[in-house]
Amino acid sequence: MTNPFAILGLPESLLLDPAAIESSWREHHRDNEAASAGDASDHNRARALLSDPISRLAAWLEVKAPAITPDRSIPPALMDLFAKIGPVLARTDALLARHRQATTALARALLTKDCVTAQLEVQALLQEIQPVKATFLDRFAAFEKAAEHEDFAAAAAALGPLKFLKKWEDQCRERLLALIAT
Amino acid sequence: MNDEIIIGIDLGTTHSLVGVVDSGFPIVLANEKGERLLPSCVTWPVGRDPLVGTEAMRARALAPARTVASIKRFMGRTFADLSIEERSETPYRLVPGSRGEILVALDEKTLVSPEEVSAVILTRLKETAEAALEMPVSRAVVTVPAYFNHSQREATRRAAELAGLTVERILNEPTAAALAYGLDRLGESATVAVYDLGGGTFDLSVLQLREGFFEVIATAGDTRLGGDDLDLALARFLAGELDLGVLSEPEEATLRIRAREAKEALSTEERVVVRLPFFRGESSYEVEITRDRFEKLALPLIERTGPICRRAFAEAAEKGASAVEKLILVGGSTRIPLVRTKLKEWFGLEPDLSQHPDEAVALGAAIQAGMLCGRVRQILLVDVTPLSLGIETFGGLMNVIIPRNSTIPVKAGELFTNAVDGQASMAIRVLQGERELAKDNWLLGEVTVPFTPGPKSSARVGVQFAINRNGILEVLARDTTTGEDHVLEIRDAAVDVEDEAVERMISESIDYAFDDMNERVWTEAKFKSEELLPAVAGALELVGDRLEGDERSTITSAAKRVRELLEAETHDAAALKKANTALDEATQTLAALLVEAAFEG
Repeated sequence: MTNPFAILGLPESLLLDPAAIESSWREHHRDNEAASAGDASDHNRARALLSDPISRLAAWLEVKAPAITPDRSIPPALMDLFAKIGPVLARTDALLARHRQATTALARALLTKDCVTAQLEVQALLQEIQPVKATFLDRFAAFEKAAEHEDFAAAAAALGPLKFLKKWEDQCRERLLALIAT
Repeated sequence: MNDEIIIGIDLGTTHSLVGVVDSGFPIVLANEKGERLLPSCVTWPVGRDPLVGTEAMRARALAPARTVASIKRFMGRTFADLSIEERSETPYRLVPGSRGEILVALDEKTLVSPEEVSAVILTRLKETAEAALEMPVSRAVVTVPAYFNHSQREATRRAAELAGLTVERILNEPTAAALAYGLDRLGESATVAVYDLGGGTFDLSVLQLREGFFEVIATAGDTRLGGDDLDLALARFLAGELDLGVLSEPEEATLRIRAREAKEALSTEERVVVRLPFFRGESSYEVEITRDRFEKLALPLIERTGPICRRAFAEAAEKGASAVEKLILVGGSTRIPLVRTKLKEWFGLEPDLSQHPDEAVALGAAIQAGMLCGRVRQILLVDVTPLSLGIETFGGLMNVIIPRNSTIPVKAGELFTNAVDGQASMAIRVLQGERELAKDNWLLGEVTVPFTPGPKSSARVGVQFAINRNGILEVLARDTTTGEDHVLEIRDAAVDVEDEAVERMISESIDYAFDDMNERVWTEAKFKSEELLPAVAGALELVGDRLEGDERSTITSAAKRVRELLEAETHDAAALKKANTALDEATQTLAALLVEAAFEG
């Protein structure tokens, strides 16, 4: 992937303002109809990558320190959270499968209570993920400072856990959306 | 000759329209009889050219097998994908083609594809435009339901090509309606939702409108839900009321036509009388239906749109959109008063009825066409892909490569390598959908990634999955060693259907033996009964005390009837199905009470 910061003409910074990303993307999209599909795809892709802080961090590291390879194991600090998420997701999936199989309004109505409970459980998980994620995101300014001295170790170490947190968050959100649609 | 003109086409399930931008304003064009709505119906009189529109509609009851309506439901789908219900619901006969695609068998020898049927409709629209504009037309914007997948869009494009039209853009229907809504409100900024319930499909899109910039944030839908389903439910109810028993094909078609008329009348009348003169030989029938009764039948179908809306609203909010301020209704089925009351009840929003339910999409298509040929300049439009795109990975899971609601055009790459020494290629199955297991999603097809043979893990091929502005997928492979790019063909998903299996499927579907059909319907009905009976018992135990008057006894006697039929020696499929429907309906209040109780806790 080519440099998304450069594609949208934005500074290579972790602390981009969402409004700046939007307005730059829109500026580049002015000639949407005229732009080649390739260019437009690049703009859209760049916006999607930069709007999410975690993929922004990944893109930033790729641009600034391409030699660093991120750690892919689950950090011990996240193990407790991981142990909680698995069972809730599995329970929710089983419930959603039962809901999908139900062919009558009554059979589905019988599952409503469980669906409401599951929704609360998943929401609680999302609320647990939030602060953990925030502790990493709050360090973006410090990562930028360290980068001035070519020190990317802390930023690279944060990427692994953040990717896990994002994955879990996405999984919880998917379940939540599916539950909303029951 | 003016080559520059681009027309906008709404290729609908029940009606189609054509429009164009004239002096800055979008207009719908009328044919020589002054009609703007062309019924999406084609009939093939034996030995003659096909007839389209109103003329074809008249043939529905006379030649049901040779008259094709609502073909849009079958565009870009495979025969295997059809449910038993879908296979038996059409008055015309569906058979599988050699690649597993759906074909219509007009008679024993004549087969037509859904694309060919649509092409006849599109040709007529093209002629209407040419007559109205007094110039040849060869370029068009064609709308599709936002929730159409890659294959359904491709089929639509092929249909237009068959009609001699170059498709300049495939436009999503709710997005088109938003363009029609927003054209004279360019100065405003708002988050709007378009609720598009048409003849065969339902879409809900959330858009942000900011001073001429139209951005779709989220979209969701159901490509098998629309006014046709309401007609069918009403027709079945009427058949039951009149005790008509097994219907012949012409009878079924006539009943469906009368049901549709009754449904339409009930949007403004409180009660209508359905008359069936000389319906069966000399016998005529007559039955009255009230709006109240119709709404009971319509409610379960309309309620299916609620969760779809909630899901799209939640996704839009997640992506940072402000709360929906306007709920714009389009599509003929939004004329039904119950749709409007339900929406108000669910979302506390007064539905916006400023758009013409039948014409808004065509006007939007005309606006998009005008944008593409420079007749409309002050608008910018960005849409999204409705479904996640992914590939099947080891273990039968789907690995998402482009998530749904990504702004299009979009592309994303994956790197592939050879798993064994000397491997020359690798097949990738491309999927669309939201489910975790590959088999639960749409299989769009297979692409073969070529490798330069070498030792294990030596090959490096980057595969780009690109969704263009039409929502159509293109797959490119780049050999990182040579830097060469080439387009990979997406081969039909159905190629692996064996010839023999196809033969069997064809003969099965053509001579559907009555017994076989009865047994299939029985199995399906039995399954439903077995789900309903314990659910009724469970629900009565939980909230039975909240039922009023004789509701409880109505339910128990309906349940008793189901149980009797289930235990009877002969399998009366039709009766069991009818008893299930009665029980299903009798338990509507009970279901509502259960939901209420669930939220109390």
